[in-house]
Amino acid sequence: MIETRRIVSSRKAAFRRPTTGPRILSVGAATPPRKYTQDDVLELFQEKDPKVRSLFTSSHINTRYLYLPDPVDGRMAEETNQELLDKHLNGALEIGPQAIEECLRPLGLAPYDIDFLCCVSTTGFLCPSLTAHLIKKMIFRENVRRVDILGMGCNAGVNGLQAVTAFAAANPGKVALLLCVEICSAAYVSNRSMVTGVVNSLFGDGAAAVAVRQDGGDSWQAGPLVVDFESHIIPDAIMAMRYTLEDTKLSFFLGRDIPYEIGANVEKPVNRLLGRHGLKRKDIEHWVVHSGGAKVIDAVEYNLGLTDHDVRHTIAVLKNYGNLSSGSILFSFRELCREGVVREGDLAVTIAMGPGTTIETALLVW
Amino acid sequence: MYAYETLRVVQDGAVVTAFLDRPDERNAINMRMVNDLSHLIDAVDDAKDVSALVLRGGTDVFTCGIDLHEFAAHEKRNIYGLQKWEHVCRELERLSKFTVAAVQGECTGGGFQLALSCDMRIAERRAVFCFDEVKLGFLPGMATFRLAKYIGFGRAKSIILTGRKVRAEEALSWGILDRVCDQVSFDETLMATVNELLPFHPVALEMARRLLDESYATSYENFLGHFLAAQYRAINSEAFDRLVAKAARQEHQERRADPARGRRTRAK
Repeated sequence: MIETRRIVSSRKAAFRRPTTGPRILSVGAATPPRKYTQDDVLELFQEKDPKVRSLFTSSHINTRYLYLPDPVDGRMAEETNQELLDKHLNGALEIGPQAIEECLRPLGLAPYDIDFLCCVSTTGFLCPSLTAHLIKKMIFRENVRRVDILGMGCNAGVNGLQAVTAFAAANPGKVALLLCVEICSAAYVSNRSMVTGVVNSLFGDGAAAVAVRQDGGDSWQAGPLVVDFESHIIPDAIMAMRYTLEDTKLSFFLGRDIPYEIGANVEKPVNRLLGRHGLKRKDIEHWVVHSGGAKVIDAVEYNLGLTDHDVRHTIAVLKNYGNLSSGSILFSFRELCREGVVREGDLAVTIAMGPGTTIETALLVW
Repeated sequence: MYAYETLRVVQDGAVVTAFLDRPDERNAINMRMVNDLSHLIDAVDDAKDVSALVLRGGTDVFTCGIDLHEFAAHEKRNIYGLQKWEHVCRELERLSKFTVAAVQGECTGGGFQLALSCDMRIAERRAVFCFDEVKLGFLPGMATFRLAKYIGFGRAKSIILTGRKVRAEEALSWGILDRVCDQVSFDETLMATVNELLPFHPVALEMARRLLDESYATSYENFLGHFLAAQYRAINSEAFDRLVAKAARQEHQERRADPARGRRTRAK
């Protein structure tokens, strides 16, 4: 059978791809040097409770990269709040620059060439903020513009992308850099409860960076245009994901209804985002979904009609790194780029969900 | 307005019927028909007033299969047309409405696959099904994926590798077909089949079909996660809202009619 045209619906053909706009030019990522299996972590926590153990073994996670202290007599040493804060900063200053370098290297750019720096992190509180520390460590220009996004959780990768995209659109030719760096192991509390068990079995450490620029000279091969964003917040579920205080330490709480709450709402922002461009879900070639956890991924799949194949990168990132919070969509995006299947005109939708409870989406086109 | 060239499409209430309509070519599936089917599926998917799509052919032939005239004779042939065809079968399989294949006469190759992609299949007693592709030197598409799920590995091997013809009665006994009837009662049987599927609850249909589709390929644990996500969606759908409201109304009425009743059932 002769079919020369691409497999596109008439609707998608009617979608007008912008000729210019901010593009994601490159992506880089980094993790701590040490990798742990779920069994390794259970061993370090010396966890005996079968309920907590089954959280680890049924998590659909094989390995995570973590900054964990060396064990004393086979058991992981207790960390003070100061140690956790130091771990966050030191970790961020180790893997953050590695992710930035991997992102900038293929572009032939150095930190000195960056005009806008946005750092996202929820796993440690600092003043001066991470951008200031990174500028000192990596030699950015003294007039680099910057913003730090704190406390927005797993969805913040998209919120950061909104910031760098807005800067790039307003300043054509200038380069904006987004760094998501989460040292989730700096927010671990080990008190043998199911609440901390859920968190400790799920989150991993990692950093990821993307460079965004609007330049009429860049073609689709340079990277996707960031076309649009759509947000959705569920104020009634504000307590579903939050920090609580355990003595002096911040401890993350994840409500059990989150996957269902996300599932019941995820259609709304996606339909609005696609609807205003005359698109439907089946017009989308690629889905870049936050690796929130196995149940959240199931809920997104079943409510958007996506297949395991559609979210293969999301599943792979969960399996190999755990939930990387704000950085995980960028890890999935990197997997997609490395796969080499993207073609001109392909559309992607990014979905990240987190505290608020919120669902953030973005539309990309190559 | 899109004009179908290879399909005759009619709507009767909530049921859209598309007749494969290339009578001079025994309804052979050419690229235009693939594109027409793609448009049809899109349109039916979007139509709020439609509950079911019926696919039919002529009275003597559903289709003789893929139109070989579509392939270039002296050039390197690419895969994209066949890829689009598989894409259309998948869209049909996942359409947000009930789908029924109603087969009369010959149903070969791609036609057989269209039928396997539908929710239900009925045929007239004279209908004959066959995958002749391997006998001819190519492949019966993703029917290689679908057929064994209907009839088991051994029977699927025999049908696909020998290209032998399967009569309607045999297809019925193997579970490929849901109903077989005579020509005189064909329309009536078709209508009964569609009515048996209704009422139409879009969320329940989408979820049930998808879970069934995955049932051969996933572990119990993964499947359970998928099921819970699907069931949560179903019990929060409009249809379930109505069901729960109706049950509450009924209980209220019964208690008004017989005040002791509510207490009795609760005491059980």
